[in-house]
Amino acid sequence: MKVNISSNREIVSSKALSPLFIPKKFLIWIGIPLIFVFFLLPIYRLVAISFKSDGAFSLSNYTTILQDPTTWSVIQNTLLVVIGSTAISVILGVSLAWLVAYTDLRAKKLMQIFIILPFVIPSYISTLAWTQFFGASGLFQKMVSFLPFTVPSINLYSLTGIIFVLGLSHYPLVYLMSLSVLRKIPRELEQASRVSGASRWKTFLKVTIPLSLPGIASGGFLAFLANLDNFGIPAFLGIPANISVLSTYIYQQVVGFGPSAFAKAATLSVILGVIALLGTFIQWVLLRKSKRIETTTEDKQPRYILGKKKIWIEALLWCFFLLTGIVPLISMAMTSLLTAYGLDFTLKNISFENYQFVLDTSPKAKEAFFNSLTLASITTAIGIVIGTAFAYYRIRKPNQLNKWTEISIGLPYALPGTVMALSMIFAWMEPIPGWNPGIYGSIMILFIAYITRFLILQVRGSITAVMQVDISMEEAAQVSGSNGWAKWRKILIPLLLPGVLSGAFLVFLTALTELTVSSLLWSSNSETIGVVIFSYEQAGYSTYSTAFSSLIVGLIILGFVVLYGLEAIWNRKVGKAS
Amino acid sequence: MSKFKLGVAALLSITLFTGCAAQGETTNSGDVSGDLSFYTSQPDVDAEQLVSAFNEKYPDVNVNIFRSGTEEVISKVMAEQEAGDVQADVLLVADAVTFESLKEQEMLLSYKSEEANEIPEEFVDPDGTYTGTKVMSTALVVNSEKVSEMPTSWKVLSDPSSSGSTIMPSPLYSGAAAYNLGVLTRNDDFGWDFYESLKSNDITVTEGNGAVLKAVAAGEESYGMVVDFIVARAEAEGSPVKLVYPEEGVPVITEPIGIMKNTKNEAAAKAFVDFVLSEEGQKLAAEIGYTPIRKGVEAPEGLKTIEEMDVLNADIKELYQAREDDKAQFSELFGE
Repeated sequence: MKVNISSNREIVSSKALSPLFIPKKFLIWIGIPLIFVFFLLPIYRLVAISFKSDGAFSLSNYTTILQDPTTWSVIQNTLLVVIGSTAISVILGVSLAWLVAYTDLRAKKLMQIFIILPFVIPSYISTLAWTQFFGASGLFQKMVSFLPFTVPSINLYSLTGIIFVLGLSHYPLVYLMSLSVLRKIPRELEQASRVSGASRWKTFLKVTIPLSLPGIASGGFLAFLANLDNFGIPAFLGIPANISVLSTYIYQQVVGFGPSAFAKAATLSVILGVIALLGTFIQWVLLRKSKRIETTTEDKQPRYILGKKKIWIEALLWCFFLLTGIVPLISMAMTSLLTAYGLDFTLKNISFENYQFVLDTSPKAKEAFFNSLTLASITTAIGIVIGTAFAYYRIRKPNQLNKWTEISIGLPYALPGTVMALSMIFAWMEPIPGWNPGIYGSIMILFIAYITRFLILQVRGSITAVMQVDISMEEAAQVSGSNGWAKWRKILIPLLLPGVLSGAFLVFLTALTELTVSSLLWSSNSETIGVVIFSYEQAGYSTYSTAFSSLIVGLIILGFVVLYGLEAIWNRKVGKAS
Repeated sequence: MSKFKLGVAALLSITLFTGCAAQGETTNSGDVSGDLSFYTSQPDVDAEQLVSAFNEKYPDVNVNIFRSGTEEVISKVMAEQEAGDVQADVLLVADAVTFESLKEQEMLLSYKSEEANEIPEEFVDPDGTYTGTKVMSTALVVNSEKVSEMPTSWKVLSDPSSSGSTIMPSPLYSGAAAYNLGVLTRNDDFGWDFYESLKSNDITVTEGNGAVLKAVAAGEESYGMVVDFIVARAEAEGSPVKLVYPEEGVPVITEPIGIMKNTKNEAAAKAFVDFVLSEEGQKLAAEIGYTPIRKGVEAPEGLKTIEEMDVLNADIKELYQAREDDKAQFSELFGE
């Protein structure tokens, strides 16, 4: 993470955070124990279990597991799936971000909503929709039946299928992290490269990609972690073909509940953690040489006029959005209107009774909604403050200590949800052996778990934002005498806000619909949206679970529309004032 | 809700050390009150009805429910054990084999309830660590729109005419499916040959019972192996599915109930177990839609009573000891 930094860095950064609280030394003294307790202790407990056999230290878990050929085929599957799906996520995310940032496409705001959708729809809904779409009697076969040659039906229950659906579900991570970076690249640089004779493609490779690398690498890394830990998609698509990846294989071990079940699961989780660290290393290699650009504001004016091609590209994009965002949604909404699962979608089988049950009859859904909303809001707020402060310190004063801190913050996000929840129990039931403060068993454990798990999303978003603000801006502020709060208020916050908010947005959405961690950690009066949907599903009430999911997705879309509306009003006001 | 606000307030003030330690109240015998943690895999609504009926009898007991899949509930209990303090007082999950594993690890309290005398002996642990609470058989679910002639035998799943249109839950993910695997492979009529013929008949393996029902109800598959009560429920709602009890008999899980060894409220836990096994508790289970386990309580519409079923059984201890091997063998058989 070496970056070209002026010699004044020392002066600036030592004073940068100081006005925020107290002397920086004090912050470090407080920060390190906190990081240790929240991020490292649960992981340490997990690693300790993996090295224990019959109550004594031993490597026997590792030798047993690494000698088992199944383990190696699972690891191989995992690597294939994660690399393949991350590649799809990056290619899709970057291409779409480039198109939205630089071209004169219409209805970008609307596109933005559809780009986020795959990330919001619960994975069990989207996998079901995809399998129906590609099924023998599905829409896809009907569409290609007009072609003169036969197209074989695509089998999603395979490695390829898992890679494809995962890649499609996580490209929004890359898109969100890349968009504002791309907009901040000064167009003059690209023009200069074009004038000196480089082709458009070469300019893209030599100028655009290197400059936007911080955002792409951040998003790619998050997509990589999300693909690594995802359970729903490889479970649904992998079980019929008997394909296991690490996250599903760990779950199989946990439910084996023999005396050695945890030791096995913990050992496999450590292996998964090692793979996550490899990803961190790759990212570090990518960013080592990355150049930072001088701060500019986001330039939203189109740089490439698509001309005649525009209509075709738009048509292609909308087809893609229709398939990835709308088809699963429609199939979900249709199910939610049926009086019983499996009936044909005809007028006499349609009613709103499932919605009535969720909104009116059942108090659970309403409570869960407010619980999740509170959890997500507070997690996001805390994340913005802590995550951004850490990101600032990480970029302005890079050292070994905060490099390792960042890795520690990232680990809980890479562990499978089940394992993460179990290690939270180990760590928080009796934080000091023999003393149970009642954190576990109240809503507190969920707050702690969410913040621990999702802070990395905010950190990555904020790091991308901070990397874009050139140190000279801060120096200028300091030279002209504004220090401390004024510097943050007038210079840093306005410049950082777009990047920070895209991270916050991810944290909020992920926390709102989180399932695996809360399904082990919730307690009476603290059900979350995910837990309620999961329990409807398990009791065989698919119509209720789809109704509740449809409501949540609908509310999220409504939230987008309100946000954009406010933005438009805001812009008009500001426009008038200036 | 007040608990929730308290939690938020505590978090915001970042005083992590204000949580009040939940002190288990020591109860005198005969005085049933205080907190009781009830961990279960029953669907939400059922668990709530059970608790509110129990509270009519014992209004001073405050029951906290945690519900999730059987696998998740057990993982949670095991993690609590690992952390040094099991929080659950009473446990009610899918099958006896799961309880057998807890018994083996000496995590259960021995309690012989008076009410258990009215329950068929084969469903009561002789040491009193767990007792069955209802009867759930695994039977055939058939899509009534795609199939006109109802099958009568398990063999329909291995019949060439149903090739590629059958589905079952995976024993690697579902405890109930693992139980069925253990019972059927130890049964002379079936054995591993049966599973081999399922494999060669191109059966789809999916995660759980819910997914099996969905696939058959949606018409993606024609036949499935699934736990009976969710089919009866879907049928009553109008889904195009039918429940068929095959003539060879059915494997049965009993959702046993047991008390954790280090319960902090033994009196309330025992009262709760008594209530679930009592005539009143069993009638309630039947009203909700389950086959009761107690002799002389009627089964709900569409389900058979335990006397009407031919139960396929196997030795619980043996099933527990062989479970991991059974799963490994299954995984190998269905491997690519």
